[in-house]
Amino acid sequence: MEFNEKDIIVRRANKTVYKVGNEVIKVSAPEHPKTGVFNEALITSYIESFGVPAAKVLYVKEFDGCWGLGLEYIEGQTLAEKMQNEPENLEANLEKFVDIQLEVNSFRAIGLRNTFPKRTEEINALDIDPSIKWELLQRLAGMKRHTKLCHGDFVPSNIILTPDGGYKVIDWAHATSGNAGADAALTYLQFTLEDQDLADKYLKLYSRKSNTAIQYVQKWMPIVAAGQLHKAKSEEEKALLEKWISVAEYQ
Amino acid sequence: MEEKVQATGIIDSVEALEARMAEMRKAQAVFATYSQEQVDKIFKAAATAADKARIPLAKMAAEETGMGLVEDKVIKNHYAAEYIYNAFRNTKTCGVIEEDPVYGIKKVAEPIGLITAVIPTTNPTSTAIFKTLICLKTRNAIIISPHPRAKNSTIAAAKIVLDAAVAAGAPEGIISWIDVPSLALTQTVMKDSDCILATGGPGMVRAAYSSGKPALGVGAGNTPVIIDSSADIKLAVNSIIHSKTFDNGMICASEQSVTVLSDIYDEVRDEFEYRGCYFLKGDEIEKVRKTILINGALNAKIVGQSAYKIAAMAGVEVPETTKVLIGEVTSVDISEEFAHEKLSPVLAMYRADSFEEALDKADQLVRDGGFGHTASLYIDTAEKEKMAAHADRMKACRILVNTPSAQGGIGDIYNFALLPSLTLGCGSYGGNSISHNVGALDLINIKTVAERRENMLWFRTPEKVYFKKGCMPVALDELGTIMHKKRAFIVTDTFLYKNGNTKPIEEKLDAMGIVHTCFSNVQPDPTLKNALEGTAQMRAFEPDVIIAFGGGSAMDAAKIMWVLYENPDADFSDMAMDFMDIRKRIYMYPQMGKKAYFVAIPTSSGTGSEVTPFAIITDSDAGIKYPLADYELLPDMAIVDTDNMMTQPKGLTSASGIDVMTHAIESYVSMLASDFTEGTSLKATKLVFDYLPTAYADGTNVTARDHMANASCLAGMAFANAFLGINHSLAHKLGAFHHIAHGVANALLLTYVIRYNAKEVPTRMGTFPQYEYPHTLRRYCEIAEYNGIKGKDDNETLDLFIEKLRDLKHAIGIKDSIREYGVDEKYFFDTLDEMTEQAFNDQCTGANPRYPLISELKKIYTLAYYGEDDKKVDF
Repeated sequence: MEFNEKDIIVRRANKTVYKVGNEVIKVSAPEHPKTGVFNEALITSYIESFGVPAAKVLYVKEFDGCWGLGLEYIEGQTLAEKMQNEPENLEANLEKFVDIQLEVNSFRAIGLRNTFPKRTEEINALDIDPSIKWELLQRLAGMKRHTKLCHGDFVPSNIILTPDGGYKVIDWAHATSGNAGADAALTYLQFTLEDQDLADKYLKLYSRKSNTAIQYVQKWMPIVAAGQLHKAKSEEEKALLEKWISVAEYQ
Repeated sequence: MEEKVQATGIIDSVEALEARMAEMRKAQAVFATYSQEQVDKIFKAAATAADKARIPLAKMAAEETGMGLVEDKVIKNHYAAEYIYNAFRNTKTCGVIEEDPVYGIKKVAEPIGLITAVIPTTNPTSTAIFKTLICLKTRNAIIISPHPRAKNSTIAAAKIVLDAAVAAGAPEGIISWIDVPSLALTQTVMKDSDCILATGGPGMVRAAYSSGKPALGVGAGNTPVIIDSSADIKLAVNSIIHSKTFDNGMICASEQSVTVLSDIYDEVRDEFEYRGCYFLKGDEIEKVRKTILINGALNAKIVGQSAYKIAAMAGVEVPETTKVLIGEVTSVDISEEFAHEKLSPVLAMYRADSFEEALDKADQLVRDGGFGHTASLYIDTAEKEKMAAHADRMKACRILVNTPSAQGGIGDIYNFALLPSLTLGCGSYGGNSISHNVGALDLINIKTVAERRENMLWFRTPEKVYFKKGCMPVALDELGTIMHKKRAFIVTDTFLYKNGNTKPIEEKLDAMGIVHTCFSNVQPDPTLKNALEGTAQMRAFEPDVIIAFGGGSAMDAAKIMWVLYENPDADFSDMAMDFMDIRKRIYMYPQMGKKAYFVAIPTSSGTGSEVTPFAIITDSDAGIKYPLADYELLPDMAIVDTDNMMTQPKGLTSASGIDVMTHAIESYVSMLASDFTEGTSLKATKLVFDYLPTAYADGTNVTARDHMANASCLAGMAFANAFLGINHSLAHKLGAFHHIAHGVANALLLTYVIRYNAKEVPTRMGTFPQYEYPHTLRRYCEIAEYNGIKGKDDNETLDLFIEKLRDLKHAIGIKDSIREYGVDEKYFFDTLDEMTEQAFNDQCTGANPRYPLISELKKIYTLAYYGEDDKKVDF
């Protein structure tokens, strides 16, 4: 298949996403491991089998030495765009966002990898003060082990609102089976990096709608921050994440 | 090349750890054989070494962790060595630690084995000293999992204790540690040890509890202080500062908030300020808020730092000598940063308009941050009510009064009965298995050696039992001449009353000037209604003596009236509750005799009720028969006068006579039979064999009547103390279901029950320490032999005994089967299951030497129904 520049929807360092007809093809960079692509296909297939509104997997295929994942194209506007276009409807859109998140979390993610080993690996891989690492691992060990579907990057730009009034959630590469508190903490973190006020609004709303104490979500914040540390885009962001992980347990 | 694991080397991998733990187990097995003397010598040497090293260890800990204050850490180390040694120096932890030869109980202490100790950064050396010492004292091996931030000092402390212990004779390697801490190693060590001493944060404590091994975990603290209006303000404020600044606030019991009553608020505030504390102003509060907590979690950078340093981190300028940063805040909600545990000299201060409001605040703070840990109160100790309300409200396992909570909570410094410890249990509130300060005794298994002991038995009978033909007026004389009774209440039945049988009693009472009245309406098988009628009359009359005159019914009814007269609130369903052991029963009978003396005069030779603690009453409305049994129901005086027995009709003579025989036999083979009851049981059997046929055939024969009267009373005394068995269980329900006279019902079952109980290999034997093995065959033979029956062996003796009983029954006109008493076959079998189950559940079943199966009882009933050969009892 020939790809045209005009078909590109997103271009990142490690992948380029094209829209060709009714398909979306995520083509990895040549050095990107094949396992990553198959893994995303597998995870997305699981999501499909759970019955979660998501783009269907069509195929995994090699394009000139680069592996690509073919997905069904979803017509519509992302929730992020809608939020940007309608600042006056912030409350309603945020509410919609949380509703969708809670719906996603309500699925039992049997078969998907569990959050715990994934988070443990993330923390172990960090090059930080061993005592901070220790505190983080200890904190993680004390968390409740659930098997809820966690998206792993649940942000408004990963939600497409379809013309029929429904929605589909995309980009399931980081999905795991685990504790919804971690998913919410990650969302809060992503919001914080953009807009602290929005982040706080989100957390309050999430807490109210999920009937979860804010502290329950907060307990996950140092852990998810640790997982984001290596992805920090700026020194400022790095400093924030480092502050977040530098906490001690009450005793 | 294969990697070799050096067990004596550094522990930095699971393999090395497992090898070390295997070695430690061997060392511990040797340690477990040490005597108390050897252990105490090691304990002392180890404590001494730790004590001597307290300053270098304190320096090391402060330097390595960058937290706290050397001088305070010196105190903690000193405390961990000296106070712990002192607290347990004389505690027995090896072998027999308690013994009571009379009760046959011995308690033997054994070590648990290999203990894992998780040591926190906040108190690394002192906690290491504490835990290693209590393990040495209890002959346990201990492996330490240090925190990476305090690794070197923790290990140094453990090593000092180890070296001293080994030098004093402890096995090599009895204390060990993980050199390169990792969570994977901590999890392995927890999983593979025998018990975990987990001090630290909730994450570690939870990990310990989920390891599957028993854990003595502790939880987080968030100690709230209340300063009541009555408190000594100088003492309160300075105690709080003293405690809050101790090691820069790192003790988990340290104060986190102070709630001050409004009327003394300013004075308290001034004192804090005067003593060097800094009250945050304006936006300084917010700045500190954002510094102490990050996303609801404690900022690791402030832990154990000085007030000045924390203020600087927050961008607040305070004098360098500032002792405590105080934020005056209002919310106790967890959204308020100051409401949390701060592990540093930062304190929240609240104002309360009433003590109740202060309690509400403190309660909330404990629940949200320190459930089960510690709460503190400053008050005038004359304010008992407030103190009680505080202790009641706080869900905290240590409630400290007028005490600096850091030094107070760990015990033995401000109160000498609170066990010194550096591991403080938070109870189930904090998800812990213990709610006290952990000590050496938490680290031993106590084996209880219990030797078999026999129950104390008893022989209880009325204080006065008078007998002999014509004795009644003589006995009654005591009521007047000795006891000076004024008002007598006679209970009897209509027949006896109308027949003039009560006349001699009334005449005697008149002669003594004792006012009397009579309730003469006792019905056969008396009902509750019937008894209540008598009780009403009794209450109105207010007697000081009750005279029960008649057969079982009159005496039982009188006993019930007596209970109700003395205790108007007595509840029958409580009193009728079945018991396994009369001394351990749930319901305790009210004490009797406060209002009236009870005299029982039988007119038939059967129930023995004049000397028994039993009474049966029927609630005809509810359809329930209440069998009551308690020594409070025992009459005070029994008068057995043959003159009252001469008019017994033939049927009554026969039925009640054979009832006496059954009482005698069952009480003799009962598990509770004793030397004291056996004599009366045996004598009663012989009197019945010898005199019942004559008494039946010729009711006017005084000798026969006299001996039967005595037999009845003797058998009554026997079963009043040794109880009965399943013959009575079965007869009670047969009588109730099919209206067969009680004595006859007993007779119809007697031979089958004897065969059943005599089995040498019963399905189940009865449970009673005195009953060593199934020996009831021999017991029946003893009765037979006493009555001159002797076969070539016990089996033949039993056959002959049963034959003699059968002859006796025939001689007194008792038929051979239930059927012959007109019980319809279909009805009998339709109700058989229910009757059997009720018989099984009868109170008499408990003393039977053979514990019956319901199915077996059913077979006995079936055989008895048809009057089958008793030899068919082959089960």
